[in-house]
Amino acid sequence: MYRKPLFKNIFYMIIPIAVISSILIFLLLVTMKLEKSIESKIFEISTSDVFSITHNSATYIETLLKDHPNFPEDIKKNSFLQRKIEESLKTLLTPHIKYAYLLYRDNRGVFRFLSDASIHEEKAFIDQKLDVDSPEWLQIYDTKEPLIIRHTLLQQLSISYLVPILNQGNVELILAIDFSVHKIEEINNIIHTIQNGIMGVISVIFAILVFVIIQTRHFSAVKKSAFIDKLTNVYNRNYLQKYEDFINLDDYIVATLDIDYFKKINDTYGHDIGDQVLKQIANTILLTIRHKDDIVIRYGGEEFLILAKTRRDGYLVALNVIERIFYAIQENTFYISPEESINATVSIGVNLIPHKSRTFQEAFKLADIALYNAKTKGRNKIEIYDENENTQNNISMSLNEIKEAIEEHRIHCYYQKIMHTQTQELSHYEALLRIIDKNGKVVLPDRILPTIKGTFILRNITKEVLGICYQQLRQHPMVSISINLNPHDVIDESILAILKAYAKEENIAPRLGLEIIETEDLTSRMDAKSNLLMLKNLGYTIYIDDFGSGYSNFIYLTEIKTDYIKIDGTIIQKILDDKISFLLVKNIVAFAKEAHIKVIAEYVSDAMIYEMVKSLGIEYAQGVFFATPSPVIDA
Amino acid sequence: MRILILLLTLLSFLVAENYTFLVQPYSKEIELEAKIIAEIANASLHSKIRLFIPHMTEMEEKVYSKYFILSPKCETANFVFVNKNIEKEALCDNENRLFFTNNYRKLLSDEKYFGALFWNKSRPNIVFIHKRLEQKAIELPKTFDQFVENF
Repeated sequence: MYRKPLFKNIFYMIIPIAVISSILIFLLLVTMKLEKSIESKIFEISTSDVFSITHNSATYIETLLKDHPNFPEDIKKNSFLQRKIEESLKTLLTPHIKYAYLLYRDNRGVFRFLSDASIHEEKAFIDQKLDVDSPEWLQIYDTKEPLIIRHTLLQQLSISYLVPILNQGNVELILAIDFSVHKIEEINNIIHTIQNGIMGVISVIFAILVFVIIQTRHFSAVKKSAFIDKLTNVYNRNYLQKYEDFINLDDYIVATLDIDYFKKINDTYGHDIGDQVLKQIANTILLTIRHKDDIVIRYGGEEFLILAKTRRDGYLVALNVIERIFYAIQENTFYISPEESINATVSIGVNLIPHKSRTFQEAFKLADIALYNAKTKGRNKIEIYDENENTQNNISMSLNEIKEAIEEHRIHCYYQKIMHTQTQELSHYEALLRIIDKNGKVVLPDRILPTIKGTFILRNITKEVLGICYQQLRQHPMVSISINLNPHDVIDESILAILKAYAKEENIAPRLGLEIIETEDLTSRMDAKSNLLMLKNLGYTIYIDDFGSGYSNFIYLTEIKTDYIKIDGTIIQKILDDKISFLLVKNIVAFAKEAHIKVIAEYVSDAMIYEMVKSLGIEYAQGVFFATPSPVIDA
Repeated sequence: MRILILLLTLLSFLVAENYTFLVQPYSKEIELEAKIIAEIANASLHSKIRLFIPHMTEMEEKVYSKYFILSPKCETANFVFVNKNIEKEALCDNENRLFFTNNYRKLLSDEKYFGALFWNKSRPNIVFIHKRLEQKAIELPKTFDQFVENF
C-alpha cells in the first residue's frame, strides 16, 4: 500500500529539490544576463577605438567643410576636397573594416556617394546611389547622433557605424563604415567559447540535479519499502515508531483490530495458510478504508492499528469506517485453497477520544483496553473505550512495560504457604507472579494479566516463572511449589519441552505442582487432555485452580485424573454467609473424596473460615490467616 | 537513457547551423538573385519570359529553372541576364529582347542594358536607366521608381 504520508517529512524531499531548482533557474537567468553583458562589453572594447577614429575622421571632414555652405555640391565641384576626404576615409580601412564612405541624401531621399575609400571595381562613383538595406538609416536625421546598425540578412557585413556630419544643425552628410563579418565572427567565437563553458556548467548542474532527484526518489522508495509490511502491504511497526510523534490526535480515532482465534487457523491449517488469510483480511481492510484519509498499520502478528480520520462535525464518519471494516471481514470468506474458504471474525477496540491522551502511546493503549474488553466479552465485537468502565484498567501495565520487565529480569515470584488443615503444618507453596516496576514497587497479577492475556508475552512470563521455581526447587530440596499455568500453556510445545526437561532431573517433577484454570478451552481440546495426562505420568502434580467459579466439569476431573482441586476463593469467602456457597463447597468436597482428589481452600482469611473449612473436611488451606505471600521460602 | 537522448537532441539542434553544408553552397544567394530577376523581368515584360544566361552554371540552371523557362540560345530568349564577363560580340542583338546585367560599370558603358542588379558595398542594388526604359517602352510599376536613375 503506497500512500502519501500526512506528515511533515514530505517537505524534506521537496525543499531540497525546490532549492536546487531555484538556484538553477537563478543561475540560468544570471548566465543569460552575463552573456549579454559580456557580449556588449567585448563589442564595446573591440569597436571603441574604431568608433573613436571614425569620429575623428568625421570631425576632420566637418572642419574641411566648415566654410562651405552646401557640403554635397561643394565636394562634387572641388577635387581637392574629394582627395582630402578620400585620404581620410582610407585611413579607416582595416582588415575588419571593409568599407568607409561618405554619403548624402538627395531630394528624392536617395542616398548617394560623395566619397569612397574602396578601390578598383568596388569603388563607387560620385553621385552613385546606394540602396540601403534598412529604414534605420533614416533615424540619424532625427537623432543627429552616431548610429550602429546590425545586419542580419547580409552575408558579408556584420554592422555599420554611421556618424552624422552636421551643417548648421542639420545632418547633411553621413560618414559610414561597414564592419566585415570577420570582426563579429571573432567576437562571436569568444562569446561561443564562454557560452560553451556556461552550457557545460549548466549541463553539469542539470545532471547533478537529475542525479539528486533520481537518488531522492530512490531513497524515498527504499524508505517506503522499509515502512511497508511485505506480507499484508500495510504500514508496519517501523512506520509507527517513526511517525507516532507526528500524528495529530485531534484528526483521528484510534482502533486496534485483532483477528479472532487466529492461532487456531495457524495451528489447524499451518502458517502458510495463516499468512494467506492474514493477507486477505488486510486486503479487505485496505479496500474498505478511505485511502486518502485513513492509515492502517500491522503492529503485531494478527493485530492491526487503524487511524481513521475524523471530520469537523465529529467522529461518526470515522467510526463508520471501522464498522465497515468489521462487517466486511465478517461477511467475507477467505480462501485457504482454490476450493476451500473459511470465515473469520475480528475484535476491534476503538478509542474515540485520542485527543484526550497526552501521547499516541496513551491513546493506543486505551484502544487496546477496549480491544481486550471486546475479547473478554466473547470476541467478534467492536468495543468503544469507556473512560469510567476502564478506570481500573488504566493502571494496568502496558505491553511494553511488561516486555521491558522481562528483558530487565524484574519478573519475580512470591510464595504463599499451603497448609494441612488439620495440623496447620506446611504442605507446600504456591508461586505467585510479581513484577517489580521501575520505581521498585511490587505489581500484582491483576495489573499484569489483563494486558498480556492471549499474547505470546504470557507464555514468556510462564517460562520465566518456571525457571524461577526450578531454581528454588534446586535450592530447597525439601520444598514443593505449585505454579499457575494458563490453559494455552498446556498445549504450548516450548513450555511442554521445558517441563519434559525438568522431569528428567531427579526430585523436581514430584515437587512441582501445575495449577490450571479449568475452562472450556481446556476441556474441549483433546491435546490439552492428553498433555495433562502425559505431565502427570512424568511425575507432576496436577491442580485444577479456581474450581467452582465458572466452567466446572466433574467428569473431566476424573478423565484427567487431577490430584488436587482448589476451590475458588470467592466461594470460600462467602462460605459463612451464603448457603449456596456452603452447599457447593460441601458437595465438591464429597465428590472429591469419592474420586480420591484432594481439596484446597483458597482465601482463608480468618479463624472462622478456617474452622468451617476444617469442619467440612477440606484437607488443605491457604490464605492470609496462615501467611501472606513472601518473596522468600522459609525452608 | 531518455534524458540522455533528449539532451543529445537538444544539443544537435543547438549546433544545427554547422550542418548547413548539407544544403548546396551559395544556393541561397543565387535563389535571392533569381527571385529579384524574376520580379524585374515580369515587371518589364508582359509576355512569357524565356531567359537566357550566358555560360550558365549547373547551379544557376537548377535555381533559375524554378522561376523561368530557360532558353538555350540568346536568339530564342526575350530576356537576357548577363552575370559574367563576356565579350560583347558573343551576345545576340537587343532587338525583341531585354538585356540586364549584374555590373554597374557595364550598365553605364553599354546602352544595350536597361538595368542592373549588382552588389554595392555588399548590399544588393538595382538600377534602371530612365532613358533606356523609355527607348524600350518599358513601364515599371511605381514601386520601382526608387531604382530609376536619370542619366
